[in-house]
Amino acid sequence: MSDTEPQTDFDPIEPNTGREFEPVDVFPATEEFDLRPGADSCFKCSACDTSCPVAEVDDDFPGPKFQGPEQWRLKRREGHEIDDSVMSCSNCMRCDDACPSGVPLSQMHNTARGEYVEEQMSKTSVEYWRNRVLSNYRTSAFLASKVPRLANVTMNFGPARWLMEKTMGVTAEREFPAFASTTFREWWAERGGADESRRRARAHRERRGLDRDADKRVAYFHGCYSNYNTTEVGKAMVRVYERYGYEVVAPEQKCSGTPMFANGMLADARRHAEVNVSSMADLVEQGYDAIASCTSCSMALRQEYPELFDIDGIETVAANTFESIEYLRIHEDLKADVREARVSGDLAREFAYHAPCHARNQGLERQSVELFGDLEGAGIEDVGDSCSGISGTYGWKEEKYETSMAIGEEMFDHMAAADGEVGMTECPTCAMQMEHGTGYEIRHPLELLEEALVENPRSEP
Amino acid sequence: MGSPPHIAVIGGGSTGAGIARDLSMRGLDVTLVEQGNLTHGTTGRMHGLLHSGGRYAVSDRASARECIEENRVLREIATHCVEMTGGLFVKRPEDDEEYFQEKLRGCRTCGIPAEVVSGAEARAMEPHLAKDVEKAISVPDGAVDPFRLVVANAASAIEHGARIETHSTVRDVLIEEDEVIGLEVEHASGAGERVHGKEGGREEIRADYVVNATGAWAGRIGEMAGVDIEVRPSKGVMTIMNVRQVDTVINRCRPKGDADIVVPHETTAILGTTDEEVEDPEEYPEERWEVDMMIETLSELVPMLEDARTIRSFWGVRPLYEPPEVGSTDPTDITRDYFLLDHAERDDLEGMTSIVGGKFTTYRMMGEEISDHVCSQFGIDAECHTAEIPLPGSEDFTVLRDYMDEFGLRSPIGRRSVERLGSRADEVLNTSDPNPTVCTCEGVTRAEIQDAIAGSGSDLNAVRIRTRASMGNCQGGFCCHRLAGELHGEYDESTARAAWDGLLEERWKGQRHALWGEQLSQAALNYALQATTQNRDRDPADGDPVDFSAFDGGVGADGGSGTAGVATDGGPRDGD
Ligand SMILES: Cc1cc2nc3c(=O)[nH]c(=O)nc-3n(C[C@H](O)[C@H](O)[C@H](O)COP(=O)(O)OP(=O)(O)OC[C@H]3O[C@@H](n4cnc5c(N)ncnc54)[C@H](O)[C@@H]3O)c2cc1C
Ligand code: SF4
Ligand code: SF4
Repeated sequence: MSDTEPQTDFDPIEPNTGREFEPVDVFPATEEFDLRPGADSCFKCSACDTSCPVAEVDDDFPGPKFQGPEQWRLKRREGHEIDDSVMSCSNCMRCDDACPSGVPLSQMHNTARGEYVEEQMSKTSVEYWRNRVLSNYRTSAFLASKVPRLANVTMNFGPARWLMEKTMGVTAEREFPAFASTTFREWWAERGGADESRRRARAHRERRGLDRDADKRVAYFHGCYSNYNTTEVGKAMVRVYERYGYEVVAPEQKCSGTPMFANGMLADARRHAEVNVSSMADLVEQGYDAIASCTSCSMALRQEYPELFDIDGIETVAANTFESIEYLRIHEDLKADVREARVSGDLAREFAYHAPCHARNQGLERQSVELFGDLEGAGIEDVGDSCSGISGTYGWKEEKYETSMAIGEEMFDHMAAADGEVGMTECPTCAMQMEHGTGYEIRHPLELLEEALVENPRSEP
Repeated sequence: MGSPPHIAVIGGGSTGAGIARDLSMRGLDVTLVEQGNLTHGTTGRMHGLLHSGGRYAVSDRASARECIEENRVLREIATHCVEMTGGLFVKRPEDDEEYFQEKLRGCRTCGIPAEVVSGAEARAMEPHLAKDVEKAISVPDGAVDPFRLVVANAASAIEHGARIETHSTVRDVLIEEDEVIGLEVEHASGAGERVHGKEGGREEIRADYVVNATGAWAGRIGEMAGVDIEVRPSKGVMTIMNVRQVDTVINRCRPKGDADIVVPHETTAILGTTDEEVEDPEEYPEERWEVDMMIETLSELVPMLEDARTIRSFWGVRPLYEPPEVGSTDPTDITRDYFLLDHAERDDLEGMTSIVGGKFTTYRMMGEEISDHVCSQFGIDAECHTAEIPLPGSEDFTVLRDYMDEFGLRSPIGRRSVERLGSRADEVLNTSDPNPTVCTCEGVTRAEIQDAIAGSGSDLNAVRIRTRASMGNCQGGFCCHRLAGELHGEYDESTARAAWDGLLEERWKGQRHALWGEQLSQAALNYALQATTQNRDRDPADGDPVDFSAFDGGVGADGGSGTAGVATDGGPRDGD
């Protein structure tokens, strides 16, 4: 039996329940969709406004109802400007989740933001370049990972940060994340890649009494952060999955696009999405499912891609993408295994758990708490349903830093009040914010799962 | 001559307002009386198409020529009422090729610029068009806002000294020795702007000449004067979609038929229409099947209409006229041309002419012709200038350029406000007072509402047609009470309540024909809000004014740090 046998016909790929509507690609050459018909579903209840974390702390932000259905309805196909307030939306997607009526809010925000950046933002402005650098984290991380130690020192070097704030508008308040000395992919290649994973998966199948050639294959979308920074999360994913008999492949991939959507850099996002979709689509055709360990990455692949782009295979990829723990909860009896396990040592702790907004939008906000509630040796406490406030690159912007911290305040308070002194979340940027606001160390649920289920995980290279 | 002749014009539709403007610009003394608001009649219940003439290019070429001529004029003098969307006559596979060619020839013969575009080109212009549309003829159709246009005509007439009386019904036509000498008028709330609760009364308006421009009601006025006017009212239904599925006017290219046109109108698209003769221009059945038929048939052109949200439906009656000897049986065969009936020639009754038939698009031309006629009665040789002098609001459109920064409004709201206000935008929106958005669906701010109240008194339906407030997808669910609140200061509480009731009633009326799908959810929510939070299902305060002094001033009102009374923004927040 699995923990999450679907009880209803609710489809997690279509989180909203309203009537489906097909946006029409108005100008096939660009990414412009005519989303005016999406406003048909809005009956102005304002549930979206009351759940928007930015509107709550920023009186100048008009809120998702204006930003989405109202602005789109007032739009003309041509010659209508997008209000600049769209740049204050953090793309947390809480409005999407709140709407009872299926209004494609985040699609509207993302599309409008894309249009705003494309047509109204000066391409020579500092803001544009700062946003571009921030949203192309993968490029920066790639360069930094070539010289991780040097990067770790210089990126957080006081005068350098002061200069970045003054010239680029990147807040000096935050510390840049540390870069791993070996990236996940380097580790993966060294370990023997897909062949080695198949060998191990088969061994585990045999141990579990399964068919040696069982059809258990997943394509891992590790994303940038697990690759360059928290490689232990990626390694944990691989080991846990292999233990359940899954062969893992780590196909060619680029950034999921999440930071680019949030900054309206749709052309950049599309370039990356094309690579991701084409490599994932081939694998999905062969029977693989796509698994992400970052909830924003899975969100991008399953919701934002099909909403924003028209790429061959995009729907199939979206329909076969899952978050890493969600997938195991569906296909394995994860809960029973965890109930029988116990942890000791480094991770035998009380965790203050924060559910990322993007997890919430996929209906996953309770999975970690439900899963680890019975784990012997560790405890987990949900710190509530507020937004962490960082929303990826948002909280890195000098002008958004205050807003970001004001939103995060509730979470910081709740973390302080919780028993645990270690934080836990699925989202790497939420983790940064949690650490920044409380000074706690932050772990990923996969790490705890690995500790609970995999014997001597660190005995391998 | 000493003082100029005094002309009484009956009817505040496009025709009457156009005549009032023309005559007053020529220096005549004009009084216009209208039983409801401006546009209360057919003008407020029409499709909003600024005809290129294409629709008449096969069947009625005289009308087609008039249309293209006036189409060009209105683009110049009424820029803030007109949106040049362009139009298409689309041909589906089952539509007749011969008729398509005939339409094209007809347009060219009548001087209507017309080009054939392929199906693919048509879909590039309008992506929601059906995939099997074969080809189309593009013509310079446009969209026109009848409310704004009539209000602007009336404003111009007032500038030239005319008196405009709304909510004033003509009860009798006064006749002495076979000559019309004036009107007996009943004012709902006294002379001048309408103010709820103000006492009404009767007035005799003496006039040197009377123009009957009451459209479908012309026969009634005729009866009062003892003359026969055979107007044949014909009803048509129109359904308003929540959003614009098309930005171009989409006509079906086939001989006359029902449900063959979609007009983008402001934030919406309007589907139309039907043509069915009725007995009475006020009492006729409004039936659901008419709406269903229209959505179904027009989905053949724009398939997404099938499931799209409609926000309301309404019916209008055409004031069709044909000389009795013609005797058409089908109303679609009756000409769309207009007729000037001089009752002196026709019925030996001096001092009155009726103008019947015609179209909204040609209102100005009709006004010019009848004004010429009236002037000739008095031997006045004054030229018509209504074709050259722009209407108030359309004088100078450069203001559109810098709308946003100047008025501190958010992009789409500033843009829409300026589109509505035209050259008056600066005068209306440039305020140092707080200017919140009152109607969020249509993006109407307090400044524009206040301007409309100044122009039309406490009548919120008149405010509505001037601003579009409450005409968006929530149909007033979230803004009617705010609009009523805007009457505060100038008007007392019971006036505001009566005005609020009037607006709510009008808003519910048209929604009755859209109660399924999303608009049903909307209506359910509106009802719950209005009933439970505003007590509109049963209002114990109706009748007697509320004794506000019986309420205390709230927390902190006496002593404390809070301010007494109520600040509109809820006052300062704790710790702010
Ligand atoms: C369904 C439909 C769609 C149409 N679509 C278009 C279109 O897209 N484009 C176009 O150009 N034309 C269109 N028309 C035609 C156009 O709407 C009319 O020709 C035009 O509006 C008529 O204006 P009017 O001023 O003559 O009449 P009305 O607007 O009817 O004005 C007459 C006024 O007289 C008032 N009145 C009556 N009796 C009295 C009284 N006793 N005392 C005081 N006042 C009185 C009435 O209240 C009314 O306001 C359409 C018509 C219909 C029915
Ligand atoms: S995505 Fe988040 S920040 Fe943006 S409008 Fe929606 S709720 Fe507000
Ligand atoms: S929650 Fe949905 S239906 Fe309600 S106001 Fe927001 S967009 Fe409209």
